[in-house]
Amino acid sequence: MQHFLIQVLNGVQLSMLVFLLAVGLTLIFGLMNILNLAHGAFFTMGAYFGLVIAKHTGSFWLALLIGPLLPFVAGFVLQFFILQPLAQRGRSTHLDLALLTFGLLFATAGAVEYIYGSAFHSIATPDVLKGRIALLGIEYPLYRLFIIAIGIAIALTLVLVIDRTLVGATLRAGVDNREMVTALGININVLFALVFGFGSALAGFAGVVAAPVMSIYSSMGIGIVVTTFVVVVVGGLGNLRGSFYASLIVGMTDTFAQAFLPEVELFAVYALLIVVMIFRPQGLFGAVGRVA
Amino acid sequence: MSTEAAFRKNERRAALKLLPIPVLRRPYVILFVTLATGLCALPSFVSAYAVTLAVEVMIAGVFASGINLLTGYTGLVSLGQAMFLGLGGYGIAIGTALLGWPLWVSAPVTLVVVATIAAAIGAICTRTRGVEFLLITLAFSQMFYGAAIKLRWTNGSDGMTGIPRPDLSLLGVSADSPATFYYYVLAVSALALLLLWRIVSSPFGSILVGIRESESRMMSMGYAVASYKIGSFALAAVICAVAGILQSQYTYFVSPDSMSWQMSGEGVLMVIIGGANVILGPFVGAAIFVVVKQALTLITDEYNLFFGIFFMLVVAFFRGGVLGTVNSLIGKRR
Repeated sequence: MQHFLIQVLNGVQLSMLVFLLAVGLTLIFGLMNILNLAHGAFFTMGAYFGLVIAKHTGSFWLALLIGPLLPFVAGFVLQFFILQPLAQRGRSTHLDLALLTFGLLFATAGAVEYIYGSAFHSIATPDVLKGRIALLGIEYPLYRLFIIAIGIAIALTLVLVIDRTLVGATLRAGVDNREMVTALGININVLFALVFGFGSALAGFAGVVAAPVMSIYSSMGIGIVVTTFVVVVVGGLGNLRGSFYASLIVGMTDTFAQAFLPEVELFAVYALLIVVMIFRPQGLFGAVGRVA
Repeated sequence: MSTEAAFRKNERRAALKLLPIPVLRRPYVILFVTLATGLCALPSFVSAYAVTLAVEVMIAGVFASGINLLTGYTGLVSLGQAMFLGLGGYGIAIGTALLGWPLWVSAPVTLVVVATIAAAIGAICTRTRGVEFLLITLAFSQMFYGAAIKLRWTNGSDGMTGIPRPDLSLLGVSADSPATFYYYVLAVSALALLLLWRIVSSPFGSILVGIRESESRMMSMGYAVASYKIGSFALAAVICAVAGILQSQYTYFVSPDSMSWQMSGEGVLMVIIGGANVILGPFVGAAIFVVVKQALTLITDEYNLFFGIFFMLVVAFFRGGVLGTVNSLIGKRR
C-alpha cells in the first residue's frame, strides 16, 4: 500500500513535468497550427542555462528564474524570424515546418554536446526543499512535492489568464478567427512569437525544475518530447485542459508500468496512445472544445 | 485572375500530375540504359571503398523509395518508417537464427508478416492526417523500438548478429565478397524500383496521387479512400522492410537503433533532398545524403549538429529536391 502511494505521487510528479512541456506544445499548435518537434530542445536549453547560472551564482532559485529566459528568446526568434516568414512566403506547409523543427531538435542536441560534452550533470536541490516529509504514513521527498505544487499552480494560473484576462481573450480569439484579430489592430505575428517564446520558456522552466531529480545530458529533450507528443495527442491537439488530464493519464501509466510491469515500461505509453487513436482519433478530450 | 481561369489552371495542373510517369520517351530510355550499364560496370573501375558506399546508397535508396510511395505519392508524411526497416532486419534474424529457417524461406515470410502488421498499423494511423498522422506513426515506431530494447530473446539493446547473406554458390560466387554483394543489392534494388514504378504508373498509383491532391474529391468520385491509404501504407512498409533485410545482410547485424526516430527522419530527408514524388528522387537523395554523411564523419564527431542543420536548410530552401528542381527547369525551357 505504501509502495502504491509512493508510485501515485511519483506519477503525479512526472505528470506535472510533462504537463509543463505539453502546455507550450499544445498552445503553439492550437494558435499557430505548428507542430514544434523541437520542443524538447527548449527543455534541454533551459536545463543547461539553469545549470550555468546555478554554477556561477550557487542559487537554484536564480537558475529557476533566469534559466527559462534563453528558451524564451530562442523560441521568439525561431517563430518570428524563421517559421513565420517561411509560412508567409507560402513556401512551406505546416508539415514542412514540423520537419524543420525536427532538424532543430537534433541540431540543438548536437550543439549542446559540442559545448558541454556528453557527460551527465545535475543541479543541487535547494536547502529549503531538501529532506523528506511524513505524509499519510510514508516519507516523501519534499522536492518532488514542490514539483507537483508548481505544476498545479501553473495549470491554475494558465486557466485564469486564458479565461479571465484580456490577453487570454485575445489568444482565444486568435484561435477562432485570425483575420478578425488582425483587423482589430492586434499585431498577430508578435503575439504568436510571444506565445511561442512563452511556451518554450515553460519547457525550459520544466528543464530547470527537473534538473535536481533527473540528470542533465545533451539528448535529454529527445526522450521526454516523445512522451509529450503522446500527451498532446491523447488530450487533443490544441486543447489545454485536455493536455492537463492527459498528462495525468500518461504520467500515471508510465510510472505504474515502470514500477509494477517493468517489461512493458518502454511501450505502455504508446500502447495507451494507440488504444486512444483506435477509439477516439481526435483525442480523448477533443470534444471538450479548445481552450487555446 | 478570374475564378474561372484559376479553376481551369488548377484543373490543368491536376491533370498533369495525374499523368503516369513518362514511360518510354527516348531520353529516359537512354538515361536508364546508361545508368544500368554504369552501375553494372562500377565495381571494375572504382575502389573497394566506393563500392561499399554504392551499396549503402542503394540500400538507403530502397528505404527512401518506400517512404516516397507513402509521403511523395500519397501525401502522408510519416516519421515512423524506420520501424519497418527494423522489422525487416529482425524478421530474417529471427527466421534464420532463432527458427533455423533458410534465408529463402525467412525473407518472404518476413515480407508477408511485415505487410500484415503494416496493414493493421496503417488501418489505425490513416484514421488521422497531417501532423497527427506524423505523431502516431512516430509513436508506433517508438513502441517497436522500446519492444526491441526490452525483448530478451532478440538480445535486447545488443541486437542480433550472424545474419546470413544469400548463398550464391550455385553461381560459383560468394556473397561475402563486396563486389558480389554489390551485384546482389543492385539486383534487389532494381527489382524494388521496377515494382515501385509499376505501382505508381498503374491506376492504383494515380488514385494515390489523387488522394494526395484532394482526398474529398476522390471520396466523392466513389473511391474507397481508406483502403487505398492502407494499401499504400502496407506497400511502402514492404519496400522499407526489403531495405531492412539488405541492411542487416550488409552489416550481418541488426539492432534496435535501426528503428530509431532519427533513422525515420533520415529517410524523410533523403526523399526531400532527391525530390518527393519523382521515382528516382529517393536514390539521388540517398546518394547525396550518404556522401555528405561520410564526409561529415571524416571532419567532425558532432554528427547530430550537422545532421540537424543540414535537415533544416534542406526543408527550408530546397523543398522541390534535386530532381524536382531539374524537372521545373526543364519545364521552364519548354
